[in-house]
Amino acid sequence: MDGDLSPLAGRDAASHLLERATATSVALEGVSKSYGGTAAVRDLTLQAGAGELLVLLGPSGCGKTTALRLVAGLESPSSGIVRIGSDVVNDVDPKDRDVAMVFQSYALYPHLSVARNIEFPLRSRHVPAAERTRLVGDVADSLRLSSLLERKPGQLSGGQRQRVALARAIVRRPKVFLMDEPLSNLDAQLRVDMRAELVELHARLGTTILYVTHDQVEAMTMGERVAVLNDGALQQLDVPAAVHDRPANAFVAGFIGSPPMNILRGRLVGEGDALFVAVPGGRLALGDELARAARRRDLDEVQLGVRPEALRIELGAAAVPVAGLLGTIAATVTLVELVGHEQNVACRLAGSQLVWVRAGAGGAPMRTGEPVVLGVTGPVHLFDPRDGARVEP
Amino acid sequence: MNGAGERWSRRAVREAAVAYLLLMPALVVFGIFVFYPLVKTAYLGFFTSPPAPNLPAHYVGLSQYRSVLGSSELRDDLWRTVQFVLYTVPVGIVLGIGLATLANQRLAGMQFFRTIYSSTVATSTAVASMIFFTLLNPEVGLFTYWLGKQGGNGVLQSPSLALPAVSVVTIWQNIGFTFILMSAALQSVPDDLLEAARVDGASSWYRFRTVTLPLLSPMIFFAATVGVIGGFQAFGQIDILTQGGPGNHTLVLIYDIYRQAFQYDNYGYAAVQSVALFAILLVLTSVQFRYFQRRVFYARSPHEEVR
Repeated sequence: MDGDLSPLAGRDAASHLLERATATSVALEGVSKSYGGTAAVRDLTLQAGAGELLVLLGPSGCGKTTALRLVAGLESPSSGIVRIGSDVVNDVDPKDRDVAMVFQSYALYPHLSVARNIEFPLRSRHVPAAERTRLVGDVADSLRLSSLLERKPGQLSGGQRQRVALARAIVRRPKVFLMDEPLSNLDAQLRVDMRAELVELHARLGTTILYVTHDQVEAMTMGERVAVLNDGALQQLDVPAAVHDRPANAFVAGFIGSPPMNILRGRLVGEGDALFVAVPGGRLALGDELARAARRRDLDEVQLGVRPEALRIELGAAAVPVAGLLGTIAATVTLVELVGHEQNVACRLAGSQLVWVRAGAGGAPMRTGEPVVLGVTGPVHLFDPRDGARVEP
Repeated sequence: MNGAGERWSRRAVREAAVAYLLLMPALVVFGIFVFYPLVKTAYLGFFTSPPAPNLPAHYVGLSQYRSVLGSSELRDDLWRTVQFVLYTVPVGIVLGIGLATLANQRLAGMQFFRTIYSSTVATSTAVASMIFFTLLNPEVGLFTYWLGKQGGNGVLQSPSLALPAVSVVTIWQNIGFTFILMSAALQSVPDDLLEAARVDGASSWYRFRTVTLPLLSPMIFFAATVGVIGGFQAFGQIDILTQGGPGNHTLVLIYDIYRQAFQYDNYGYAAVQSVALFAILLVLTSVQFRYFQRRVFYARSPHEEVR
């Protein structure tokens, strides 16, 4: 809808944009922020390395936007230290932090033209007119806004507004970009395109980016590392693959993935040397290392994490367990969701817990009410039900 | 086809009949209280008033219109009215924006100040005028005492100070309304924009000048036109404070109309002045309407439909 989608169009004209910035790290050290008695951010410690694209991911109200605003200086921390580079910026005014922010609403000035919007950070910093014109022209070229410079924001499409907001952030070449759900107001197709554009832009500029989103797909595809937040506290900070494969606790496990990981209540049962997790309708064997870790923790009740991809549906209650499975669980099909050529099947266990299974394309069509056996192909995860923490094998 | 066409036209007639029936009550009320007086006033302008009551009025055609509209009295009335508007409207708006900006700070107890600032809305012109009339009294007035002018000529009796003094009272009386308008407009400026401007490096004055003020401009224009129209109609404060005096120094057009009609029984003369005032207000109001149809609803929300 916006024509050529390559952000590299006009890159020659925008040569100064190709110079990689001297990147700066950003850190929150033990930062808390509360409003009245309500804590929005609790003892948050995280660092984005110089030039890193760090995604803050979490459900709404988890404090990710507050964390971003703390870095921007729009909020000041109740305690802790905010650092940009090696400088403590707790008491530094936003305009002196050399950061740029892209707001969820884009926050374009409705009474100013696109050119004046992009120019705003330069004007407010008294950049000479000739320099301003050159910089605005360059950044407009690189974001395909040249033909729109005289328009008002009200005359632009959502995607165009988004690019104006980006242009306004880029034009000054700040040390750090702060992006607060910048894609959430775009329709699905445009969001996918802009995701790629932003990653390219980051690669080109080399500027540190803190990127806030509640969309795990954005987080997993864009982030070099992902910080998962819940209830104001950091749950896990790691590369996307690790967040997916080794969730630090039951919250992260149940938040990441589509459908997310199944968390089942179970009980540890020892049989000789072997250790099993018994869940309603079946049980499964734990590997040696996981079993040792569970024994060390002296657990009785556990939370068992199984990804929908780690389950296989065997039709019929009497199906024989196939070799290679960790175990089987009896269940009943309650809902079948067709996602393209795949099926997401919700099954109910005897104990009424719901389990999602990702069934591949070739499988037989499922009918609701049908009794099935779920084969666990692994891997499985154990979480301590007392604090949700991962039992690390 | 023909049959269908006829059915349509019959239906159109019925719809029109219903529409006029529904309009009737409004038309009757407007007719009696607005259109008739309007026409009657214009008509009265064709007659000079009789020298004594109960004598027949004398038809003079357009000559009275010509003489009144070309008179230096009308020009002087209008100039005083314009001065009054120039004193009251800009100062009132600047003060209104200032107070609204102060009260827009997120501080404890601000509700108290908001109530105080908007309280003059609940004051009638008569009450406000009486308060200031007392304060400015040459013998016992507190302001007179502060100004050290006791016993001498009062402010309201001074040819050079009377109109400014009436203007000050008017500004004071209107400030509550202007404050409420400007507060509403300030609160509708999205926080996002001001925060974006902060991060973009704008000082607080630069933010106010380049973001807040432009977004207030529709409301400023509204307050200005309402203020100008109100200024042309300001009567109560002048009647109570100065009755147009000293000399004619506070004789604005509306007060002259009142004086001609009800003190000098010069209805025909007053009617022509009224038509002149009506024409001026008609132009001002149409300017206001035209502006608002175009400007007030301009893009603000990022979530709005894309045009």
